[in-house]
Amino acid sequence: MITAAVLPGSGARPIGVRPEVRELLSAEFPAADEVWREYHGTTGDPARDRIFAVLLAGRIVSLARCRRHPDGLEVDGVFTPEDCRGRGYARMAMNALVVACHNDDLYMYAVESLAGFYAEFGFVSIPERDLPPGVRERYTWAAGNMEGAEVRPMFRRAGLF
Amino acid sequence: MNITEIQTAFVTDTRRIAIIAGLTVLSLGASLLAMVLGAPESLLPLPTLPLTIPIILAGYWYPRRGILFAACVALLYAVTTYILSPPDPLLAYTILPRAILLVLIGGVVAFLATRLRESEQQMNQIIEFLPDATFAIDREGKVIAWNRAIEEMTGVRKEAMLGRGGYAHAVPFYGEARPLLADRILQGDPEEGYPAVRRSGDVLVAEVYTPHLRNGRGAHIRFTATALLDRSGRVTGAIESIRDVTDEVMTAAALQNAGRQLNILTGILRTDLANRLAVLYGHLSVGAMKFDDPEILSFIDDLSDAANGIRRQLEISREFRDIGTSPPAWIPVQQAVRKAAATLSFGNVSFEAWTERLEIFADPHLATVFTHLFENALAPAVKAERIVVTYQVRPEGCAIIVEDDGTGIPDAEKEGLFAQKAESYGHGLFLAHEILAITGITIRETGTFGTGARFEILVPSEGYRVV
Repeated sequence: MITAAVLPGSGARPIGVRPEVRELLSAEFPAADEVWREYHGTTGDPARDRIFAVLLAGRIVSLARCRRHPDGLEVDGVFTPEDCRGRGYARMAMNALVVACHNDDLYMYAVESLAGFYAEFGFVSIPERDLPPGVRERYTWAAGNMEGAEVRPMFRRAGLF
Repeated sequence: MNITEIQTAFVTDTRRIAIIAGLTVLSLGASLLAMVLGAPESLLPLPTLPLTIPIILAGYWYPRRGILFAACVALLYAVTTYILSPPDPLLAYTILPRAILLVLIGGVVAFLATRLRESEQQMNQIIEFLPDATFAIDREGKVIAWNRAIEEMTGVRKEAMLGRGGYAHAVPFYGEARPLLADRILQGDPEEGYPAVRRSGDVLVAEVYTPHLRNGRGAHIRFTATALLDRSGRVTGAIESIRDVTDEVMTAAALQNAGRQLNILTGILRTDLANRLAVLYGHLSVGAMKFDDPEILSFIDDLSDAANGIRRQLEISREFRDIGTSPPAWIPVQQAVRKAAATLSFGNVSFEAWTERLEIFADPHLATVFTHLFENALAPAVKAERIVVTYQVRPEGCAIIVEDDGTGIPDAEKEGLFAQKAESYGHGLFLAHEILAITGITIRETGTFGTGARFEILVPSEGYRVV
């Protein structure tokens, strides 16, 4: 079961409320961690991460993270709790991330089935060796077998779209 | 006297020699006594381990004589053991390596101690010749360094201060023993007693006025302090530098006063000019109604345009009035952007700002910078449909980027974009440039003509933080 994180001071009236898309403050990272608990236990680090969230009446309904490595920026943690899927929230979170971080080249390991989704934001498939070493570290265990890991290395050149 | 001597002040030379001699006699005597009384065969010749203790101590405390001392002890051990041990053809081969080992231990300890002393000496020299008045205290709050510059500032010699605790080092500044910033660091509450303390990385900075310096005439001083840490990160003391900033403060006050006077003067001139401009507008309105000759009406239009130019200049000078009068501060960029956007009408132009968590050290009129950038992008002639504000962390600092998808700026106009002028796209950009320059921030335009304008506000490394 997905535990919905609700930011302090928010009500719970999702019906008829327009989603808000914004970057989370450092103090709000624990709320994102709570949502990510079901997503490989991902946690945010204010020193390295920028987290973009879609909120509905204060509840986080989708997340996307941009992590700064010494040698490049990695997109990951794109996640929408199961009961919030199919409403375009992930697209909104990704759109925010790509605009906010468009000044830099972006790298990611996209889940194979979502490669088309990321292509909409200008991501293209690249060989794993073209990823910066800092980004590649996360999938060292796959030993280059991207198909086996069901992920695809992708890259987006800096620039607005 | 230096740091090392203060640290070992508890053990005087006499006591050290007594300790070394006592331990030597004890360990050597015990060996001899055991041999005289008859130690078990298996233990002969007796082990040299106890003798290493006085040798290590001697090598550490007296590195220059450490090896000589070790050689003497080794010789004494070898001779007495050889004489007193039961005859054995292999005895010499057993004793000799042990004696050599004792000399080696003494030599190694003496060598390491010498390197340590040299390193400490270098550190002392560095502190001693720092141009800023500097002192350091140990974990107990005792003064372990008091350099030449602080002697000159306070008139207190280092001999009178080294080794003293109980906040004695504060007396020259405050006339009483009270914790200074370095003491506050040890106590873990640096803000206590220094309401204006600010943190820059691991360094704490505070400015205060003290009436006791400059021969009782008083001085504005800036304290800069940081903790001294050991290899495991534990606080072992604190070091503090003190700079007399009286001249800077007086200059700043004088400049502020002069600025105030100029503001009053320009305010009077501006009011006077605005009144006369109102009269001119009145005459132009009457003229436009009175004449219907197209040539005269065209002439009146030209005059009206010139009057508008003067009015715009007056508006800019009014905005300039307050710039630099308030000290710079850490400003949340997103707030400044929102404040600027709230004063403008974006119509159909989409606007996105992605600068949450970013703070920059800037003049409080930062929002005015964004106002002018947005105003230019929103001008109908620019035909922008989208304005985006983002930031990018770079090796040299942080760039705040304001870009639009309008017509952009021709290359020929880029160079003089931030120069003072009344008309064209550059209206207000001079003002933006000046506001940013107060804290060393620069601005440039890097867009491509035809695809939109792109302004990069370049903040130096020390002038931004992501909170």
